[in-house]
Amino acid sequence: MVKVYSITTCPWCDKVKKYLKANNVAYEEHNIEHSEADREECLRISGDLIVPVTTIDGKDFVVSFDKAKLDALLGL
Amino acid sequence: MAKTRVKKDIIIIGAGIAGLTAALYAGRMNMDVLVLENALVGGQIANATGIENYPGFVSVKGGDLMATVQQQAENFGAVVDEFDSIEKVDLTVSPKIVETEGHIYETDVVIIASGMNRRKLPLPEEAKYAGRGVHYCELCDGHMYQDKVIAVMGGGNAAVDAANFLTKYASKLYLIHRSQLRADQVSQDRLYDNPKAEVMLETEIKALKGDGKMETIVVHHKDTDTTEELHVDGIFVNIGVIPNTSLFKGQITMDEGGRILAGEDCRTNIPGVFAAGDVREKEIRQLTTAAADGTTAALLAEKYLTKLKEEK
Repeated sequence: MVKVYSITTCPWCDKVKKYLKANNVAYEEHNIEHSEADREECLRISGDLIVPVTTIDGKDFVVSFDKAKLDALLGL
Repeated sequence: MAKTRVKKDIIIIGAGIAGLTAALYAGRMNMDVLVLENALVGGQIANATGIENYPGFVSVKGGDLMATVQQQAENFGAVVDEFDSIEKVDLTVSPKIVETEGHIYETDVVIIASGMNRRKLPLPEEAKYAGRGVHYCELCDGHMYQDKVIAVMGGGNAAVDAANFLTKYASKLYLIHRSQLRADQVSQDRLYDNPKAEVMLETEIKALKGDGKMETIVVHHKDTDTTEELHVDGIFVNIGVIPNTSLFKGQITMDEGGRILAGEDCRTNIPGVFAAGDVREKEIRQLTTAAADGTTAALLAEKYLTKLKEEK
């Protein structure tokens, strides 16, 4: 399962989601503006005060839009 | 995997307002147009929270404005690719070559509209606190500082507009600038009128401190020659921009700062290569002037292509 922790107005979050859609990768969106639990989880995963954070099967995570790392983790 | 070779009439490098306006005009002239963007479609404006000086809009979010211009360009056939990063270009050969991760593009015309990147905080602690107190995207990361103390560094329009936006999250907001503000008066007035905001002019940030994440900043007030340590949870850096022209070094004539030398006709030293928007050396850099550059570059590119075809 791919999860994207994001907020509504974030252009880099939009870019990650567009990239996943363009590659037919299903993902679950976790808008941290709408859920305190998601916000805490997002901070716990990366340790950074930054979005987007993308997690892949809970094994690893990608901060911001890092195409090379996304490709490697998703096998694209 | 071998890269695919593809021929295009025009390749536009950069999908900010200059590049997308050029794409819109070139598309309307029925040219085969590809726009390549390594970062964000919309460029620096994608991060703008509210634009009040673009004709036709009382106030518009940067992302919304640029999505509309992208749609206009795509409606006339332009293709925008933001995922196939450019690796290198050769503008000195004919046809010109733009090589991306997946393709080798051949084209007779290149419009460089690659814009500017934000300047990073020039302190050794920047890397240590990047994402942990030091930020460059208000729209992305401002929300992380709900009811926290935020500082914005800078004195231009981008900095003051960022400060105004971030007051919606901050319990207190410092705007810190080393000299006097250069932002539009209306934006300055809005900030000075906000009770959460404190403007510190003639003030430099000397150091960042904190265990794991940034907790305090050390500032020096130049006018009184005094230093103090302020509790600040997050700092958003808006201290100017640097031209995004490293791909073209050694091929295109630039000034010492890396801006491309081209006149009001956007023509560079290489026939068929145009520079449009903030990347071009010029006195005034506004959304409107960047859009004007995109228009000029596309119209003159079409004339160049027509002449080239007549000569062949």
